[in-house]
Amino acid sequence: MNGIDFGRVAVLVVFVFNGLLMLSLIVGKGVHRRRIKSHERRRVAYLTLLSRQLAAPDRSVEMGSSIAGDPAFLDALIDIRTSVVGSESDELSWIVGRHGVMETYARRLERRFPVTPRLNAAVALAEVADESWAPLLMDHLGDREPEIRIQAARGLARVKWTPAIDAIVERFGVETPWVRTRFEDTLLTFGSKATWPLVAYVRVNHKFDSLGPAAAIRTIGRIGDRDAVQSLIAILQSSQDPEIQIAAIEALGILGVPLAMPSLERTFLSDDWRLRAKTATALAMIAEREAIPILTTGLEDPNWWVRRNSAAGLARHREGIRNLHKAIQSTDPFARDAAAEALADVGEVIAARERIDAGSATVDDVELIRFIESELAVKA
Amino acid sequence: MILEAFRWIGYATILYFVVMQLYLFALAVYSGFVLRRNYHMRRFGRINEMLSSQTSPPISIVIPAYNEVAGIVDSVRSMSIVSYPRFEIVVCNDGSIDGTLETLIEAFNLTQVRIPYRPDIETAPIRAIYRGRGAVDITVIDKENGGRADALNAAINAARYPYVLCTDADVVLDGKALVRGMQRVVEDRERTICVGGNIRPINGSNVGLGHLITPGVPRGMIARMQVLEYLRTFLATRPAWSALSALPLVSGAFGIWKRSAIFDVGGYQPGHLGEDLDLTMRMHRYHIDNAIPYRIVYEPSAVLWTEVPDTVRVLRRQRIRWHRGLITAIRDFRSMTFNPRYGTLGMVTWAAFFLFEFLAPFLEAIGWVVVPTAYFLGALDTETLILMILLALGAGLMNSLVALWLDEPYGFFNRPIDTSRLIVIALIENFGLRQMTVYWRVRAAFGARKTHAWGNMERRGVANLGIEA
Repeated sequence: MNGIDFGRVAVLVVFVFNGLLMLSLIVGKGVHRRRIKSHERRRVAYLTLLSRQLAAPDRSVEMGSSIAGDPAFLDALIDIRTSVVGSESDELSWIVGRHGVMETYARRLERRFPVTPRLNAAVALAEVADESWAPLLMDHLGDREPEIRIQAARGLARVKWTPAIDAIVERFGVETPWVRTRFEDTLLTFGSKATWPLVAYVRVNHKFDSLGPAAAIRTIGRIGDRDAVQSLIAILQSSQDPEIQIAAIEALGILGVPLAMPSLERTFLSDDWRLRAKTATALAMIAEREAIPILTTGLEDPNWWVRRNSAAGLARHREGIRNLHKAIQSTDPFARDAAAEALADVGEVIAARERIDAGSATVDDVELIRFIESELAVKA
Repeated sequence: MILEAFRWIGYATILYFVVMQLYLFALAVYSGFVLRRNYHMRRFGRINEMLSSQTSPPISIVIPAYNEVAGIVDSVRSMSIVSYPRFEIVVCNDGSIDGTLETLIEAFNLTQVRIPYRPDIETAPIRAIYRGRGAVDITVIDKENGGRADALNAAINAARYPYVLCTDADVVLDGKALVRGMQRVVEDRERTICVGGNIRPINGSNVGLGHLITPGVPRGMIARMQVLEYLRTFLATRPAWSALSALPLVSGAFGIWKRSAIFDVGGYQPGHLGEDLDLTMRMHRYHIDNAIPYRIVYEPSAVLWTEVPDTVRVLRRQRIRWHRGLITAIRDFRSMTFNPRYGTLGMVTWAAFFLFEFLAPFLEAIGWVVVPTAYFLGALDTETLILMILLALGAGLMNSLVALWLDEPYGFFNRPIDTSRLIVIALIENFGLRQMTVYWRVRAAFGARKTHAWGNMERRGVANLGIEA
């Protein structure tokens, strides 16, 4: 084959391929639109059928043998399951069981390939499966596909399968950050039942690992179980790992228990600015009057994050706002700037301007606006 | 002898072109696999959980603005209604003279405040700082003119959150763009320093109150050609680069950056005509040279709509500016080109940038001169000439069609008429439009490669770009 022949073949191949691409593009768009419409039509039909069945159960009605693997049926099932209660739930479970819906998705999940039907199956089980499928979901908490692990945990949380808590918590140390954050969200569904497994996990692991225990501590804070405060204080005092200390400070702030004040006062004296900055926020969240003098000293901290967080914390209290106004007249330019930012954030600048316009301004208002309008020598 | 030389130069040019198209085709096929997986993750991933999660990292949206009075309010509004748990908007008015600042003050009820401004990156002097009094968490930095990079640096200095979305003032952000982009950050917070997004032309679409109501294909040939060009870039190339961990460019219109990483490399380089390319490459170089683990990724489902030039004059200016930026970057990062120390980036993607982006216009221009000359001198026969032209056109068309095919799961152009229009433009863009672009890119080699001036893109405002009645 000479060069010309090769050229002819190449041109032919390229143009045949282009022709096929063009055809598939135009035909494909039409097919895609039809498929979406058909899916929607089937979903609505299934919804109608399911609604009728739930309203007046008639177990002789056949819904068709193909519904088990039909994604439109699954969508209808997901749509309807949140609105059913009592005997309707039992009836829905009977319909699902009779047509082998869960068995079909379980079989797909158990396959090794391809990934799309497996993901689809995991979503189906997470959305619709009952407790009887919990062991299968437990097995897939260690699946090689991260999204399937997430779905398995979600499904277990939906049916409140408490043995899953330990299994999910145990995976904190080995999971990817994305899966770990989704696991954190999932554990919230279990509420305070997850608190002690999380505390136990932190106690055992906080000396060997950083990310897993830190995630567990954050989750404890978000669950909001105040019984965990003593344990968190103990962890804060015993850990030398800044990641864990920061998570503990954050959690204590969210829990908002005054019992944590002495420990937080100590961390506010830390050499690590990150701990001081987090403590300022936590102290503000606990919202105790005793926090105000501590936060006021934070306005003169060498680190700007600490100053900013202290000022923002003071702005949460009426008395703190008075201290911020005083700081505007401070000789420390850093404290002045931090105070001005916090006052602007809580709307004090606007309020002061309005009071000046209305003729009811205080000395603090006038000083604040004079400072705002002064030259912007704003370097922190 | 001369005839032989002409013939072989002709063959070499066509060979170069075929190799380039094969490289692009390989990237498109690989991108197809990446997009398919991404599509399933998007469909099944519980991304909405991030919206109510306290673990979602907060982000500052930074917008540099210079004479953007036509579209700034719509853009800020589109950004203020995105779905994300915690974010702020920081606009930097870079000494506009068209009333951009006044428009912002009025639209968002801004009031002058005094907040600490930390110049971690040196910028032109700041005149004043404003904060919104309404529901939108917006800060406006008013500074003296210093160019786009300088304005971005000022806004990044003023940002409060650990991640910044660097974008433009003439864009509409898709409602889920932030959460989809930030999902990639949450996947690996330690290593992820940047997430690039998918940019699409907004011309021809209907926009109202900061929302994209219906996407559409623009009427004008110039804008329509760019739709195809953006599809080729953002669907057929970048997913593959990202999967190879060698993304050499995160577009300036949509880049989520770790703020501390920007400070590490000293921010955007003022005056650079391709400041986005420069920053991305400096990030790669800094992290590889210092052996710091990192990743720069691309997320195709994080979509941002932008206004593209719809006149030849504006397009010419834009392309010349872009190519001058590329030439500067090629010079600045020449030590990385074909350097195995920089892995796939140095040996494949950045090397391909050099071969197929920087050199392409020059070699293509040589081809136009040499191939017809060789034909008229009798060095090439008619059949060879026709085969060469057909092969070049066919290969170019193939990549456009593959890009259109990859767009299918996104469903923005699902009407057969839109697809047909884009196929037609894929067929005819090689007759005139392509040559024009090559000519501008060759011209770009002659002239200044640094300026503090903004590109003179004439804005109509994103809300005024719908199909004319």
